[in-house]
Amino acid sequence: MEKLRLSRGFTPKLEGLPDSSVIRLPSGKTIGLCAEDIPYIRPKLLVKEGQQVQVGTPMFTDKRDNTIQYVSPAAGRVKEIRFGARRRLLEVVVAPDETDAFVFFDPIQGDRLRDLPKADLASHLKQGGLWQALRQFPAKDTADPDHFPAMIIVSLNGNDIFSPHPALVLQDRVADFQTGLSLLERFSHRIVVSARHSSLKALEQIPEVKDRITHVTPDTYPAWHPGAVLYRLKQDASDNTSWCVSLDHLLMIGRFLNTGRYPVERMVTLTQAGDSRPHLLTRQGAPVSRLTSHIDKNSIITTGQFNGRQVPADGHLGFFETTVNILQVQDDEEMFGFARPGLNKTSVSSTFLSALFKKPSPVDATLHGELRACINCSYCQRICPNDMMPNFIMKALLADEIEEALSLGLLDCCQCGLCSFTCPSKIELAPILWDGIQSHHKDKA
Amino acid sequence: MKNPLKKLFDDTKPLFTGNGKYKKYEPVWDATKTFFFLPSPKNTVMPFIRDHLDVKRYMSFVILALLPVTLFGIYNTGYQAAMATGQSASFFSCFFSGLWTVLPLIVVTYAVGFFWEFLFAIIRGHKISEGLLVSGLLFPLTLPPTIPLWQVALGISFGIVIGKEIFGGTGRNILNPALTGRAFLFFSYPVSMSGDIWIAADKMVDGITGATALAVNGTGGQAIGSALSSQGFSMGKLFLGLVPGSVGETSALCCLIGAAILIVTRIANWRIITGGILGLVMTSLLVFLIPGGKETWANAGPLYHLFAGGFLFGITFMATDPVSAPGTNPGRWIYGILIGFLTVTIRVANPAFMEGVMLAILFMNVFAPLLDYLVIKFTASKRIPNV
Repeated sequence: MEKLRLSRGFTPKLEGLPDSSVIRLPSGKTIGLCAEDIPYIRPKLLVKEGQQVQVGTPMFTDKRDNTIQYVSPAAGRVKEIRFGARRRLLEVVVAPDETDAFVFFDPIQGDRLRDLPKADLASHLKQGGLWQALRQFPAKDTADPDHFPAMIIVSLNGNDIFSPHPALVLQDRVADFQTGLSLLERFSHRIVVSARHSSLKALEQIPEVKDRITHVTPDTYPAWHPGAVLYRLKQDASDNTSWCVSLDHLLMIGRFLNTGRYPVERMVTLTQAGDSRPHLLTRQGAPVSRLTSHIDKNSIITTGQFNGRQVPADGHLGFFETTVNILQVQDDEEMFGFARPGLNKTSVSSTFLSALFKKPSPVDATLHGELRACINCSYCQRICPNDMMPNFIMKALLADEIEEALSLGLLDCCQCGLCSFTCPSKIELAPILWDGIQSHHKDKA
Repeated sequence: MKNPLKKLFDDTKPLFTGNGKYKKYEPVWDATKTFFFLPSPKNTVMPFIRDHLDVKRYMSFVILALLPVTLFGIYNTGYQAAMATGQSASFFSCFFSGLWTVLPLIVVTYAVGFFWEFLFAIIRGHKISEGLLVSGLLFPLTLPPTIPLWQVALGISFGIVIGKEIFGGTGRNILNPALTGRAFLFFSYPVSMSGDIWIAADKMVDGITGATALAVNGTGGQAIGSALSSQGFSMGKLFLGLVPGSVGETSALCCLIGAAILIVTRIANWRIITGGILGLVMTSLLVFLIPGGKETWANAGPLYHLFAGGFLFGITFMATDPVSAPGTNPGRWIYGILIGFLTVTIRVANPAFMEGVMLAILFMNVFAPLLDYLVIKFTASKRIPNV
């Protein structure tokens, strides 16, 4: 096990660490297949409202590659297809029935997994609705099956600081884990399995998993993000197009190959300031309203405090999402807010008294200030885990100097969101960088 | 119960926003409102949690770090006047007579500065930035206490308009606005800005000239060190700051306290301050070791160079202005070291501009983008390409 180092990054002292018990939640009245958390997709619907579907029935595909299927995580009737502005597909909602009928695929195990041609494996996974779990750097688009990646990074920890603990996710799923890794080995010679330092102790109880961990990352956010791991490991430009897959999806792939059924179980965490909740074993596409009994009107629901998306109260968990945060919105303009001592204010700087104490501070989902011009303070440089200069890249992008932005390392961005988090001028650096990456990727395609 | 002040802003809101009667003056209303009530709108894009530090607090900490310097400067102005006129020098009388001299400088600076800031904000329709809070306090602290108020008004006008607003306001300026204003006064009104003008007293008793330590030179083979102490500029006095000079620059101790506040809170970059001191110490040692010039500042050694004049004030509060300083760490080191180097060089080589730090910082301000450019090109070439 190799230790990775991270000299920058930042872990704010946050409340809401989930505890390590697990409870199983009964499934809700609706199950959704969300399109909003899928990057780059141009969805084409394959079902109509009122149609009966099974677990594994394709619901929509990607117009850019219509062999990729996004399949139903529930059996039942399509209750509603939700569209957003300009008829953008938001989600397909299914009212599940009791049957739990499913589409059956051939299980692929052992020798067949070793011998089957790569192209067949890829198309099998595409039909099963799981190929898109593999993402290709630098833009994190769906992996190209014809590409031979220098490495595939499996990060055992999720996108959020409070994402599910890998030891709990892996409980009783060692066989799926091993099958999943065997599949990855067909696509690349180098499989990197990384885990957060704090997860290691519990993971050591599962020897089969422990033996496969290749890298341990520090506990500083976002050291365990696949993009941050890649930046630490890469030796030359051919590593830039590596792939990554999350633990959750690796287990889904493993189970799919072992059983021939599209797996719907999913471990999620729900975090809220001042509360420590158990891990929840629920279904993919579960409605967020089912995860907690009460959501305060003055709060927003996100799937990652730093880099998730905001979910409406009647929304459903997406294919890529395993964390739900409920964040308070204090709708209040604080009198002399800039001059308060700040015993409970989170900050990278030491301009608040909270810097003197270890106690976690409550956070809320507001900006704490107003947009100003960049004052070149370099807080974003000081915090960026991948040694980028978000302020200079932002200026290059806003001036349409895409070549300049690329040479400064735009595509190394791992979308951790720390630059936006720390900016005193409240410039939306992370979305500006992400837009730059996306438009560059679309131009190239 | 609703805060009455909040109610006032809520009641006046229709007048200043939308189709209100005074829509033009929205920036003024908005600046006043956000001074009292920190806005904190809901986040709609990732990341959903944000740091509490904003530019208002950022700039407030520079003001906080300037407080020791300001208060000591006020006291010292009164103290110097009392010494020069031979009056009693009780703490309170010194402080209040100093306040009587210095407060008008500060008030005029802020009044004129805000006038320009408001004017540009109203015409260009942007928000009022907090940078002026700092520039408006820095500027009077760099002036001699005897300066006429109309020159203060003229100087800050030049600093704000030419130094900042014509580039687009805080964040887009090339030069430090307060120093730009001071340089304007220095070259336009040399009589008010140099010579024996550093004590605000009408009549001085014999033997007191009102010159600064930097104007001292040894005469008749006297070494600079003994010349300084014989004229009342002992090392201890220079360190504490009980000497004539610009309002805020005299006390090395207070500047160091300010530097400590700025570095601990990570508002100023320690590399600039450390680099500056390093550059000054190395250069002054170098010229000290060069034979000759025993009577001049070339032979004064690092400590006198550090504590006399406005170097510590400049490097702590002016050079660390993030907007006009480089934005890369290696750039900051070079920038700081060269400011130290140039300060000593100007002091030693050109007695016409005794105070070298102002010119050194302005000169390096101009070079900051070039330093950044070189550093960025270099670091980009070291990255594994990803295009």
